[in-house]
Amino acid sequence: MSTQTQDILPGAYKEGFHDDIRPLHKVAKGASHEVIDYMCDVKGEPDWMRQFRHRSLDLFRKSELPEWLPGLRDIDFDAITYYASPIEKSARKWEDVPEDIRRTYDKLGIAKEEQKLLGGLGAQIDSEMAYHNIQESLSKQGVVFLSCDEGMKQYPDLFREYFAKAIPPEDNKFAALNSAFWSGGSFVYIPKGVKCDVPLSVYFRINAEQFGQFERTLIICDDDSFCHYVEGCSAPVYTTHSVHAAVVEIFVKERARCRYTTIQNWSTDVYNLVTKRAFVYGKGIMEWVDGNLGSKRTVKYPSCYLVGDGAHGEVLSLASADKGMWQDAGAKMVFMAPNCTARINSKSISGHGGRSSYRGLVQVRDNAPNGRVQVNCDALILDDKSRTDTYPTMEVDGDLATVEHEASVSNVSEEQLFYLQSRGIKKEDAVSMIVNGFIEPIVKELPMEFAVEINRLINLQMEGSVG
Amino acid sequence: MISSQTLDALTSGEPAWLQQQRQTAWQTYEKLPLPTRRDLEWQRFDLRALKLDKITGASAVTETLTSPAAEQTGQGVIFCDMATAITKHGDLVKEYLGKSIAPDEPRKFNALHAALWKTGAFLYVPRDVRVTVPFEILYQFAGNATAGFPHTLVVVEPGAEATLVQKFVGGPTPGSNGTAGLHASGTEVFVKEAGHLHYISYQNFDENVFDFTLKRAHVARDAEIDWVIGMFGASFQRYDIECIMDGEGGNSFMYGVGFAEHKQQFGQFTKQHHRTGNTVSDLLFKNVLRDSAVSNYAGMIKVEKNANGTNAYQSNKNLVLSNKVKCDTKPILEIESNQLRCTHGATVGRLEEQQMFYLRSRGLHEKQARELLIEAFLEPVLARIQVEKVYKEFSSLIHNKVVR
Repeated sequence: MSTQTQDILPGAYKEGFHDDIRPLHKVAKGASHEVIDYMCDVKGEPDWMRQFRHRSLDLFRKSELPEWLPGLRDIDFDAITYYASPIEKSARKWEDVPEDIRRTYDKLGIAKEEQKLLGGLGAQIDSEMAYHNIQESLSKQGVVFLSCDEGMKQYPDLFREYFAKAIPPEDNKFAALNSAFWSGGSFVYIPKGVKCDVPLSVYFRINAEQFGQFERTLIICDDDSFCHYVEGCSAPVYTTHSVHAAVVEIFVKERARCRYTTIQNWSTDVYNLVTKRAFVYGKGIMEWVDGNLGSKRTVKYPSCYLVGDGAHGEVLSLASADKGMWQDAGAKMVFMAPNCTARINSKSISGHGGRSSYRGLVQVRDNAPNGRVQVNCDALILDDKSRTDTYPTMEVDGDLATVEHEASVSNVSEEQLFYLQSRGIKKEDAVSMIVNGFIEPIVKELPMEFAVEINRLINLQMEGSVG
Repeated sequence: MISSQTLDALTSGEPAWLQQQRQTAWQTYEKLPLPTRRDLEWQRFDLRALKLDKITGASAVTETLTSPAAEQTGQGVIFCDMATAITKHGDLVKEYLGKSIAPDEPRKFNALHAALWKTGAFLYVPRDVRVTVPFEILYQFAGNATAGFPHTLVVVEPGAEATLVQKFVGGPTPGSNGTAGLHASGTEVFVKEAGHLHYISYQNFDENVFDFTLKRAHVARDAEIDWVIGMFGASFQRYDIECIMDGEGGNSFMYGVGFAEHKQQFGQFTKQHHRTGNTVSDLLFKNVLRDSAVSNYAGMIKVEKNANGTNAYQSNKNLVLSNKVKCDTKPILEIESNQLRCTHGATVGRLEEQQMFYLRSRGLHEKQARELLIEAFLEPVLARIQVEKVYKEFSSLIHNKVVR
């Protein structure tokens, strides 16, 4: 149990410790078909999944990185461990979680939250879910909240009907990688008409070094249902790189509503390459609330495929790029049915040499009349070592859509600072107030505890940025 | 077919430095692959109708220059075709030609232009000379030959001011050999300290021309350029329009208007490159799209490190009049300074019901109301044209398309 390289982010990244947890299963480094066979044997997976994984690995090897996505060539995929599990099976009771793992989560303050505000809690360490539990009142209504592996075992037909249907392994290189080595993540099913008022929460932790975490989440919100899914993540600070390549597939059926909140706070040696996609059916509502505060490089564009009449998609994106980070975040809205609406609201802050990029796509297909979409991107840049980019693309077929995009980049203005200082507020506090005011529209959409945490993290990143 | 023989025939008798430049450009052209739909910038375009192997190298474009009377231009103004410029003002031309559009820039058709340009014009306005009457260049694409590569070089010396009007029209004679024409042009502009260029340029080619055009201006300290670009003809056009802000206090105001119909394909790629701080650039490109037109706008604002005090704006608005139109817009920001203000906006929309209703309620027919609104949509760009005659040309061109 030790913390190392504290000097990278002095005091700021309190999740940067790592614990010595002995893995029960750990495979040789590198992406190989042997690793897949080993995983399938350990997990006792059906044949179709074994074949699916092998096929995905072939796709991963064949596919190229897209030309528009620079800066990923230095990932050494052979130096990474693709499966490591410190546990035998996911526990239902917190006491049943192995003690050393429990200690890690206690330090992160995860268990305490469950009693307070959550309808269900999951906790993943490296490849496997250490804990997964749901309130009895919810499970009685038929709400399913399991690790993805358990979901496949307990609901094989439902699982297979939706699995990889929103994001097939052919979609992109990292989706293929995830499809080959996926492990852990959540399987959520909300039955027709059930409103799951309290959030379901999952915490992802990478503990091993040079590790690849490939969790896979599948959420199905049946007609007229509601659910709020919250995920958080962190990792120790090492000097080597880890890869987190998750796939999240969501199906929002008719008139259902799903909100998916992410607070990503990986350490600055994690490549965070995530594919998130929701299919939204008639009058359904999908909301992504996406906070990116950590990682070395994040590549993540939560997307909504609006496939039913009157579907609505929404992305609220908040990125804060500090020293050593490149937040390449954004959103994607694809209009495939009539009368759909969407909104993208993105805010980014770059400081201490960090870089944040908004990359977005709005696509209105031929058969999608009366679509309406509004995109707003605001960027705040704190010093001249930092960088901010905006790369939106809008592709519109036909004459029946209304598409609007607006973006602005600015600094903390002297005028605003002067005003606050003339009211007796210290300069540092004034900057912090301005920044917090800038991100407020997104933070206010977060659950209270997360909002507090975001403000704390932003303030830490802001330290020393006045000069 | 265009080959290195085309190049050899062209260069004989030219100064060595120019031959060298053409050689480099030719090598660049040969080295680069043809763009395909797998390239992001080209994915919306269909270039199959451009048969490169049937294109003949001979130049089909002629230039006609209209200069203000000598007493209006004053001493030292040079306004002549490129051949004359190279013979009579070789040293001056050498100082600027190919210095902005480098022969090794990796753009296939612009490299072809740099290798094979034949016709063209040179405008040189000496220090502190201010000319109010516009200089006009008409580039006419005609005859049976199928390629044209005109080059325009503009130098506005410190404190000078001028207006340049550039028109590109015509196309290969229909049915001459059934081949679409290839037009690749380049315009290099240097506006020196406190100089000012008013630049108006439009193309109204026949719809059997593939046009690849690069226009680039370098704006020095306290200098200013205002652009109005009109894009009306051609079956395909790719316009690259770039301003490079090289000196503090520089301004660039870029306005563009496009009207694409039938199966026309328009690509517009703009760049506002702030290499120095305390510079201003402003851009507004408006397009009307009808029938099965395809339009792809991509605009970049690039602010380099230490370009503090940059103020940049970029707006692309598209009015779509048919359900077969394909319209992409991609406004891009890349910012590495922190003391600046940078915004952009893009819209794709149709005529607003409410505005139509208002005009109908005032007694206008639906057709009249529609025509009025389309012309009103483009007016903010046209209003920037300071030459009355050219304003009228733009207006009537647009009007004829609107009431078609």
